[in-house]
Amino acid sequence: MAINPQAPALPIVAPVVTRRPPRWRWRGDRWGAGAALLTGIIALPLLAILFHLGQHSVEWGHLAGTVLTRYLTNTLILVFGVSLLVLIMGVVPAWLVTTCEFRGRRVLSWALILPLAIPTYIAAFVFYQGPEAAIPMLIQVRLRFGVEAFLLAEQIIRYGLLIVMLAAVLYPYVYLACCSAFSRQSRAVIEAARCLGDSPTRSFLRAALPMARPGIVAGVALVIMEVINDYGAVHFFGVPTLTEGVFRTWFGMGDKVAALRLAGIMMLGVAALLALEQWLRGRARYVEADAGSIPMKRLPLGGGKAALAFLVCFVPVALGFLFPVGRLVHWAGLHLLSDSEGGFPAGLALVRGFSLALATAVVVTALAALFMYAVRLRESRLRRLLGRIAGMGYATPGAVIAVGVLVVFGTLDRLELPLLPLVSGTLFVIAFAYTVRFFAIPLQLARAGLERIGKPLEEASRLLGHPPLRTFLRVDLPLLRAPLIAAGMLLFVDILKELPLTLILRPANFETLATTAYSLASEARLQACAVPALLIVAVGAIGLLVMNRWLQPPVPHD
Amino acid sequence: MQIRPALSLLAALAGFVPAVPAFAAEDLTLYTQRHYEFDEAVHRLFTEKTGITIKVVKAASDELIVRLQEEGTNTPADLYMTADGGGLDRAKKAGLLQPFASKAIKEKVPATLRDPDDQWVALTKRARVLIYSPDRVKSGELSTYEDLADPKWRGRLVARSSSNIYNQSLMTTVIEANGAEAAGAWAAAVRKNMVRPPQGSDRDQIRAVAAGLADVALANTYYLGLLEISEDQKDRDAAAAVRVFFPNQEGRGAHVNISGAGIVKSSKKAALAAQFLEFLLSDEIQSLYAVETFEYPVSETAKWSATQEKWGKFKSDEVAFSVLGDRNAEAVRLFNQAGWE
Repeated sequence: MAINPQAPALPIVAPVVTRRPPRWRWRGDRWGAGAALLTGIIALPLLAILFHLGQHSVEWGHLAGTVLTRYLTNTLILVFGVSLLVLIMGVVPAWLVTTCEFRGRRVLSWALILPLAIPTYIAAFVFYQGPEAAIPMLIQVRLRFGVEAFLLAEQIIRYGLLIVMLAAVLYPYVYLACCSAFSRQSRAVIEAARCLGDSPTRSFLRAALPMARPGIVAGVALVIMEVINDYGAVHFFGVPTLTEGVFRTWFGMGDKVAALRLAGIMMLGVAALLALEQWLRGRARYVEADAGSIPMKRLPLGGGKAALAFLVCFVPVALGFLFPVGRLVHWAGLHLLSDSEGGFPAGLALVRGFSLALATAVVVTALAALFMYAVRLRESRLRRLLGRIAGMGYATPGAVIAVGVLVVFGTLDRLELPLLPLVSGTLFVIAFAYTVRFFAIPLQLARAGLERIGKPLEEASRLLGHPPLRTFLRVDLPLLRAPLIAAGMLLFVDILKELPLTLILRPANFETLATTAYSLASEARLQACAVPALLIVAVGAIGLLVMNRWLQPPVPHD
Repeated sequence: MQIRPALSLLAALAGFVPAVPAFAAEDLTLYTQRHYEFDEAVHRLFTEKTGITIKVVKAASDELIVRLQEEGTNTPADLYMTADGGGLDRAKKAGLLQPFASKAIKEKVPATLRDPDDQWVALTKRARVLIYSPDRVKSGELSTYEDLADPKWRGRLVARSSSNIYNQSLMTTVIEANGAEAAGAWAAAVRKNMVRPPQGSDRDQIRAVAAGLADVALANTYYLGLLEISEDQKDRDAAAAVRVFFPNQEGRGAHVNISGAGIVKSSKKAALAAQFLEFLLSDEIQSLYAVETFEYPVSETAKWSATQEKWGKFKSDEVAFSVLGDRNAEAVRLFNQAGWE
């Protein structure tokens, strides 16, 4: 009965639909209920925090009158600057390595991912050498052109380097999303554009780029969220953003409510940006013409063009990976060559960080894929909203989530339910917190993937009588292989690098490479810190490369 | 393709299985803000001596307070340790600590470095001082923290962000000494005298003075000590190019903060925890702090390191550490108004 309104629109399939109406209806609800439940669980720590938002804040008026404008301005400068740069550093190389053939292409195609393995708080130390190295030059500027010119130059160098640094380690989010989009674009569309007289550049701008839009948006959205909740790098560079305001207000002034309002501004800002993008996209939908089509043939480049393509792809790798790793190797060398004693159980820290990151990445990616499928199964405002809510953790500073998780488990503990003390204060708590924090990554990529696949194949499968789960496993999942592996990869390195959550929630004597590196860095022992930092980079890079191999296009089954 | 991820998942899960606990020898769980590698060596020494192992969670002091509050009586923590007196005071006021009964502690540590209700005790002292370039700062030019507001310092100072607890603690003592209004004006004037916006750590401020960008840096002494023994020649050169000045020697003394610890209220191992604190306060360990982290010992009988002797004796501000906790929010508010980022 309930689906009667649909019947006239699909007269041909009417028999199938009417044959099993109750079951369809029931199953749909089950998926919806599952998605809602998962959203509820994931949103619980955020809600525990947001709960305080409406309360009276002592300091809010003071903040609004003093520092709020600065926080907002700095946040916006970083968001726009970094977004613009990651678009250039991510999209163009992705297009070049997927559609052109030039010397060094193969190596660059995976090397371009490596900067992901560099944590921003480590990159900050390395890049801060820039402003420090500029001191003699700045002193000259002050002598010759006066204080105003000096201050301007100092500011440009510092903001500029911070933006370059953030973009250089974050662009792979965009690069990965674009590669997976470009490599699955059918040759037919691009060739049609070429046949219609478009130059390669024009076919890129007019056909390939618009078709890759969901992927690019997903990548940039992740970058923006990383930027707004970065704490270490912006603090170090003296560019206080909303996130610094959150900590300063919460812990320095003891005003939880005002701090959470600042965090709320960040979440709302991200939500508004994503909604704006949806709106700009209008009614456009992304459907692959024929999923089984032959991948594009790469256009061989020669001479100057090849050199230029190489350079364009090499610069991001050099900035985001070779330079920081070079400095770290230098520092680690100084440390290891000196006779200073003191080491750390590197093996244990390595195994811990690695296994925790890998296990969480796999589980969370699988959950997110199922979740996104449930959302898509019956697109509705409500379900899309569920997706947005479940992804909000990524726009929230890690320490805020950690506090939310502590409150949730603390409350559960106080209820004295049987078994729960076993759960609280264990690795399960950290893994759960990672899920809350990073759910947006697989969600964004799965969403982009599902959008590009479109509905036709899935509808065909469903019309052939396959239930949703089977359709998901047999149709969507294989097609989602690339975006999901990319998501797992991003999750893995993100968790490996994660700091604030891990610091607060970890069990006793639980040191990962990230926490070890942080300890040494906060002692201002950069040389010693370089050793665990390099290990993080190595593990991350190896993980990325292994997963990148799985990403290579599968042999067509059909 | 389907098997490999499954296998790696299993392998990963294996990592979750905790190691079989060693024969229930006694242990203590410590929540600490101190990130020193040296602390781990101290813990090992304690274990060698007593057989008691120390299990550690390291995070920021206020985050650990939230964790203690949420874990309530289920907390595994026996001890709470910070690198700032304000944090100890806040933990006390949140009702998270219990008084220690140890006579030895009271005898060893001067009353000004203990909580009046014996809920925490200082373990080390750290002085926030002026580090200057002897080439560009004339002798007699430096005097007090207050003097840094003088226009003669325009374009000559560097300091780190006021989000840092060391600056906030210093500010609470300036408020205590001069009143809120004067302290706010002071912060605004000091900010105006800074050659560049606040950035980096104390280490970077010292390096900026060494590089000739500024003449005076506000920094903790132990950062200079760490630069002196750095594995990087550039750091050692920077340390050699600067000197330490202890301000306010004619008046209330230089601002000294503490690193300290208290016993967690719900701990059932108070006696063991006190034993650990006594160990940390022993002259043996106190003298090691002086050498290894360049913090000042709280024990008056412990030896200073050669570096500290070189910096010289000084008079320290003996303001009550509850001021640091009580006035912290006010300090941040004044920093916000003063535009000291």
